[in-house]
Amino acid sequence: MENFKKKFVEEAVDLLEGLEKSLLALEENPEDSTLIQQVFRVMHTLKGNSGMFGFDMIDSFTHEMETVYDLIRNGKLRVTRAVLDVTLAAVDHLKCLLDEENYNDANVIANHNELLSKVKLLTAEEPVITTNVTNEWHKNSPDEEQSKKEKTYYISFEPIHEIFDNGTNPLYLIEELHSIGQVTVFAHLNKVPPLDELNPEHCYTYWEVLIATSANVNDISDVFMFVEHDSTLEIQEIADFNLLADELFVSELTRLAATQKDIGLTTVQNLSKNLISKKLSEKIKEFSKDQPNAKRTSISSIRVSADKLDKLMNLVSELVTTQARLSLFAEENSTPGLLPIAENVQKLSRQLRDIAFSIVLIPIENMLTRFQRLIRDLSQELGKEVVFITEGAETELDKTIIENLADPLMHILRNSLDHGIEDKELRLKRGKPAQGKVSLKAFYSGANVMIQISDDGAGIDPDMINEKAIAKGIISAERKLTKREILDLVFLPGFSTARSVTDLSGRGVGMDVVKRKISDIRGEVEIDSELGYGTTITIKLPLTLSIIDGLLVKVSDTFFIPLLMVDKIYAIEHEKIVNTFNNVVVLDGQQVPFFYVRREFDIPDSAEKLEQVIVVNFEEKRVGLIVDQVIGEYQAVLKPLGKYYKKQDMISGATILGDGTVALVMDTNKIIKLFAKHEVFTMKED
Amino acid sequence: MAKIILIVDDSESIREVVSFTLETEGYKVLVANDGVDALKFLDGSHIDLIITDLHMPEMDGITLIRQVRQMPAYQRIPILFLTTESQAAKKMEAKEAGATGWIIKPFVPAKLIAALNKVIR
Repeated sequence: MENFKKKFVEEAVDLLEGLEKSLLALEENPEDSTLIQQVFRVMHTLKGNSGMFGFDMIDSFTHEMETVYDLIRNGKLRVTRAVLDVTLAAVDHLKCLLDEENYNDANVIANHNELLSKVKLLTAEEPVITTNVTNEWHKNSPDEEQSKKEKTYYISFEPIHEIFDNGTNPLYLIEELHSIGQVTVFAHLNKVPPLDELNPEHCYTYWEVLIATSANVNDISDVFMFVEHDSTLEIQEIADFNLLADELFVSELTRLAATQKDIGLTTVQNLSKNLISKKLSEKIKEFSKDQPNAKRTSISSIRVSADKLDKLMNLVSELVTTQARLSLFAEENSTPGLLPIAENVQKLSRQLRDIAFSIVLIPIENMLTRFQRLIRDLSQELGKEVVFITEGAETELDKTIIENLADPLMHILRNSLDHGIEDKELRLKRGKPAQGKVSLKAFYSGANVMIQISDDGAGIDPDMINEKAIAKGIISAERKLTKREILDLVFLPGFSTARSVTDLSGRGVGMDVVKRKISDIRGEVEIDSELGYGTTITIKLPLTLSIIDGLLVKVSDTFFIPLLMVDKIYAIEHEKIVNTFNNVVVLDGQQVPFFYVRREFDIPDSAEKLEQVIVVNFEEKRVGLIVDQVIGEYQAVLKPLGKYYKKQDMISGATILGDGTVALVMDTNKIIKLFAKHEVFTMKED
Repeated sequence: MAKIILIVDDSESIREVVSFTLETEGYKVLVANDGVDALKFLDGSHIDLIITDLHMPEMDGITLIRQVRQMPAYQRIPILFLTTESQAAKKMEAKEAGATGWIIKPFVPAKLIAALNKVIR
């Protein structure tokens, strides 16, 4: 049962998230009947399930909510802001109730009661409709203490001819009677028509049954609950003891049944009178069922714990590494038959890797509801009208990335609302629509996912930032910075652009933390803003985190360059490099600035005549990195460097090669930035 | 041969509890998320009983059983509703659509089995 409970909680969390989404959508279209239906359905499901798993508070609460939405869907109540406010508060409360530990928390209970009364208030304004639970087909038999005393009942049961049509088999009902008492059954076939008039799909039989049982009339009529409307049923008590224990009574009945069409209640009653003095008891027949082993077929999707997924990813990573070793070994040792096997393993592990990756990818949509809620609450709090537009919600990302992305995105959105979008009056004065617009757009771009958050608010004043940065001593007054460089300053620690710290900013963190958090998941963040027209923040993220394709290159030691950074590879003569002016080479008729990696690393020049230029993309430009040689393509399983190497930026990790040696993974963007600084530095020195 | 029961419910926990209960009783259980999913199982192969929820996304229980009753192979199959809905009107609608019976959630396993015994053996 504990297991089921856990499932229920997981499921309820999903349901509540979906509910929140529906509610926010409902706020936009309060008349949308599909949405109202959805909300009702969630309340309904929660009510049904929570009761079963012992979440009584949820049960009673959702019951009230269901009533509200039942009224709404029947047009008896309107979706108002008050209704939505209460419902959203209810969602939060229900989430809290999913943790059973909260059941004894006084605050939670107080909140529960307060909300309950609020919910009841919603319906009280309307004519109260009694939701009278009339269980027509199914009467919940009360668990009252049943008298052990057996009684005898007479049952006459005549189903309608079409009883088979809805899947009912009356014989099962008769059979079920056997399970509640001692039974004598008389089946009457006298209504069966002649063969030429007989419809084989109809039921012509009717039954008379005498049952001796300790169950009451309700229990007996329960047996027939599915056919109440499809049959004529009569149940009558004829004796307060077990008549069927009397052999004479039974044999007399049997004789009558054989001679008469049907026995009839009066006959039975008369017969019973003769036997009133006799009382006997007999044991109830017990039916045991065979229990063959049953197997369940699978469903279209299953829930797996995140732990297991992490383990799977880890193992796949290890497998890919091991496979690389196998491939290398197979190449070096020409054992017949080994190479095809190695190739097959390579193919399989690639496929396995791809599938394992796709498993941990989840759509961005999963976090959108949270944002919608944030925008809703915030805009209310700030008294601003804001519409939130999302695009590309189906874009998928590694779950670890999604998990780590939510906070920074929340912060960016918070900033947009707090500092970006202006007050209504100001917007109107500036000729903008009163309603502000914040959009979140996600899309694929090569091996990256881009997330763009834009607002049509006030934008950022670069002069103000510059001023402030100088005032804070972050930059020197003499330095002339481009607009982009100025905007990038907001990502520096200790930089806050808001003139006054509002309640909201106090809650959050600086943009530097946003940047750091995004860097942690190998993402990059960029800001673009036009004063008076709004701000756009673009986040570039890798699709996955742990395995990447890349080039193995040699610069004295072996290094690894992620393939998605690589544009083209050229061979170049060493002399050409030595003789260039200003570190620029001409490749395919284009001038490409380059860095001679050996020199940057303070390693003596290579003795080889021919070297390789790897042209990589760097901030929309092409930059060459000159290495000794390219060893080949390689699939790297990224392993983090130890904490002693945390301070350096150039190397983003390490990977273990097939032969067991380690290759460092170059972060080309950071390496080039660093080289470029070094360049400036050395040039100044010159 | 174990009897085969198709459970249609959008709630995973309900599916799990119902299938657990039924499997303990020795039934073979098939599970579907909603009406559309359920139809995939109803390809003419042998099924002894359908237990379905009423309110489900994609296709609700009543639409489902209307369609099931159209299929020659399942014209007479017993169909039980397992739902929190207790409105008499809904029940009549279900009955007219071809439902065999109605079980109210929350249920206790014994009750479910008792209801089952009315329609299959």
